[in-house]
Amino acid sequence: MASSIPSGAPGSREKKYDRQLRLWGANGQNKLETAHIALFNASATGCEILKNLILPCIGQFTVIDDKLVEEADLGVNFFLDEDSLGKPRAERAAALLGELNPDVMGNYIIDNFSNLLSTKPELFEPLTTPFTHFVLVSPFPTPLLLLLPPEIPTFLVYSLGFTTSLRVSAPIHTIVETHPDSLTDLRLLNPWSELSSMATERTTNLEIQQKVDGDGGMSDHEHGHVPYLILLLKYLEDWKQSHGGNYPATYKEKGEFKVLIQDNMRTNVPGGSEENYEEAIAAVLKNVREAEVSSETKEVLNDTKCANLTLETDNFWIIARAVKDFLENPEQGNGLLPLSGGIPDMKAESNGYVDLQNVYKYKARYDASLVEKNVRTILSSLNRDPSSIPLDEIELFCRHSNFLRRILYRPLPAEFSTLPDEHHKKAVCAALSSWDADTSLIHDYIALRAYQSFVTETDGRAPGDTDETLEVDTAEMTRLAELYLKEVGWSTGLGERGKNMIREVVRTGGGELHNIASLAGGIVAQEVIKIITQQYVPVNNTIVFDGISSRTGTYEL
Amino acid sequence: MLQSGAGGLGCEILKNLALSGFKDIHVIDMDTIDVSNLNRQFLFRQADVGKPKATVAAEFVMKRVKGVKITPYYGAIQDKGPDYYMQFQLVICGLDSVEARRWINATLVEMVDPQNPESLKPLIDGGTEGFKGQSRVILPTLGSCYECSLDMLTPRTAVPMCTLASIPRQPAHCIEWASILEWPRVMGDKKLDNDDPEHIQWLYEKALERAREFNISGVTYSMTQGVVKNIIPAIASTNAIIAASCCNEALKIVTSSNPYLNNYMMYIGDEGVYTHTFAHEQKDGCPVCGNMATDFHAKADWTLDEFIERLKEKPDVQIKKPTLTTERRKLYYAGPPQLNELTKPNLDKRLKDLLDSGEEVAITDPGLPFSLRLNVIFS
Ligand SMILES: [Zn+2]
Repeated sequence: MASSIPSGAPGSREKKYDRQLRLWGANGQNKLETAHIALFNASATGCEILKNLILPCIGQFTVIDDKLVEEADLGVNFFLDEDSLGKPRAERAAALLGELNPDVMGNYIIDNFSNLLSTKPELFEPLTTPFTHFVLVSPFPTPLLLLLPPEIPTFLVYSLGFTTSLRVSAPIHTIVETHPDSLTDLRLLNPWSELSSMATERTTNLEIQQKVDGDGGMSDHEHGHVPYLILLLKYLEDWKQSHGGNYPATYKEKGEFKVLIQDNMRTNVPGGSEENYEEAIAAVLKNVREAEVSSETKEVLNDTKCANLTLETDNFWIIARAVKDFLENPEQGNGLLPLSGGIPDMKAESNGYVDLQNVYKYKARYDASLVEKNVRTILSSLNRDPSSIPLDEIELFCRHSNFLRRILYRPLPAEFSTLPDEHHKKAVCAALSSWDADTSLIHDYIALRAYQSFVTETDGRAPGDTDETLEVDTAEMTRLAELYLKEVGWSTGLGERGKNMIREVVRTGGGELHNIASLAGGIVAQEVIKIITQQYVPVNNTIVFDGISSRTGTYEL
Repeated sequence: MLQSGAGGLGCEILKNLALSGFKDIHVIDMDTIDVSNLNRQFLFRQADVGKPKATVAAEFVMKRVKGVKITPYYGAIQDKGPDYYMQFQLVICGLDSVEARRWINATLVEMVDPQNPESLKPLIDGGTEGFKGQSRVILPTLGSCYECSLDMLTPRTAVPMCTLASIPRQPAHCIEWASILEWPRVMGDKKLDNDDPEHIQWLYEKALERAREFNISGVTYSMTQGVVKNIIPAIASTNAIIAASCCNEALKIVTSSNPYLNNYMMYIGDEGVYTHTFAHEQKDGCPVCGNMATDFHAKADWTLDEFIERLKEKPDVQIKKPTLTTERRKLYYAGPPQLNELTKPNLDKRLKDLLDSGEEVAITDPGLPFSLRLNVIFS
């Protein structure tokens, strides 16, 4: 049979998006291309965020804004030009942003949230809204914030002078492809029978020096190419024999175990040492340990969503339940997760390496097949088509089963209601009393909270927008910050950095600096992409950046 | 203001500088626009593919932002000398190559004349990979320079030749075999062009055949391209973060409005958001901004060839085709041919027959923007 070589040459889309497909793959790209982002406020920051989402090809965007383009916009917003002066910002920004990528559909609405909520409420009903994600750039009055549907992931952004911040809120967020540095799970202390027998078989004559061909000994070449995993498994067995059936557990024992390996290395070879033995020694501390279930995966498996499956439950939770069943079933995982199946590269002959790789691969495939069986059973019991979850998806999940994440985002009202909840109060007070409180960016957050209250009071007017009101506005901002601190139960009042930040925010008069707007555009777009693609781990839930000291702070508020 | 690089970071930097009020900007880039740039280099459109990046970027920004003058130069930064660089107040780099960065860094350090404060040009450098990036402020001779931090780069671990030649285990081994060994064997002197899809297709097919022979799975066209061209994933959002950070620092330096970055910020966005802002220390014996030859330990029995191979392994050296000399003799010349012929026999000689312990060796290399001086100490 003639084997044909597929022409792997990429299509035009693969070429254009090559540099990002290498990060999130076709899976992530498909999700991106079905997203429809609504941007409220076509400020420089808002437009920069959209730019970074249109380029990698979100499906659609809609710019919502009721202002006209002014001279001041041109100095800071790259997506408004001289021809735009006097025209609606929403329309002009949508047009100039739309030019960035013909694959993306751009729309605009010349209006504001408050009006739309009464004239077109269907835009904000989870079942009827065309939007999949909301990006709000402050000012956005607090009462309206509280009306946003919690079902739609929302990104609340501030960009004032050198300060910018982002608050993410979303329904329960689950991630399979977290992209850890490595998925490798070697199971050196939990070997299964095929792996153990391979290790025994490959090391029977390890200690016998070959004198002539065929005398049953191992030549230096062979000895120097026994994969280090096999060496570790063999010497772990030896150790067990001489240590009452126990594996090396403590740091000290692992040190002794390294010496054991070292002592068995052949040194009368060119170079005086063997690379595979060196690799084995280097791998001891990291890899000689019991296979464990990570705390993040435990959180997923112990979530009530896993226990209470319904007809509507996401695939994620159904597979998670199947993995949990696998883990707990003595006939299946018996306390271990499905094997990921990958092994690192190591000094070895091609055959020896591929055979070893296959032992891991087959075991991973076998584990996944058991999980698949569990999935099919669960689907049947829910009266769902048992084949509705493809094997690919189950295998992907199994490979990542020790790196799963679920993030419970706190809803906006828990933070922004007049009486924030206990979690919020504690989080703010903890940051204010931490060891680095003097320089902490929590003060920047507090200044932004005062700003939020100020624009709510004044119906959108920014503090310090004219020189005449500078002093009164500063006083009012200080009052609002103190009031907020009282609400969260912080009695010591505004700190030095807090006072400085209030002055800094008032000094900006609500204005943006282009560099910071652009930087915010990058930070926010990264997080939006992580949420949309359900890959990598998004921030939970607030990030503040200070452009003066070039630092960030993250808080769960 | 000079900006070098008009690619992913460069497009952002140019826009940011123009909107930060810089009126006179020069931009240098030697590349033309490729379709795979369009997912992030937002000043370019499909119709611009094939045109010089510097020119297209300059025209676009001048059209959009009134009152800014941008002078493009389509060529290499190495085309220009100190006279050219002396005219700028500050240099901001969004380059994708380590070599170009080392060159501009060494040039700006070299230009510093302690008697003339004007000769000190701050260098702001940015770089990204996937969701990660870094920006830094370099004050030549006054603080850590690009060369000082070269060992922070993760070296691209070279696969031993014998693995490629006889015991491949990974798809990448098959691909490197195809490009490093099989191409020259079959094609002779014909140069491999990484940008030619037919060449990549050829490598892909050869790599795939080899992978099948050794039962290795996972060779794809996209991986072939990635390995051969050493492709680094890049997205608009990360470029935006790093470019904006660089320009923010440039603005702070030029206007003295606020303290500027001292001197390094890392942004890591793949797991939550984490930044690390710190002062990277000037390295004792930095070959560019330090003045001393550094010590290098070698075995007296090494051949000169072996010595060169060991040098190549050092992440903070990064040489390819070096020329080595001492005060008293020419050790090895990679070119021109006559000198190469003359010095080639030294490659097989032992160090102890060529040098005394502690003797200084000067190394020049196309990849080195300066001459590296090492005290070779026998151990
Ligand atoms: Zn240096």
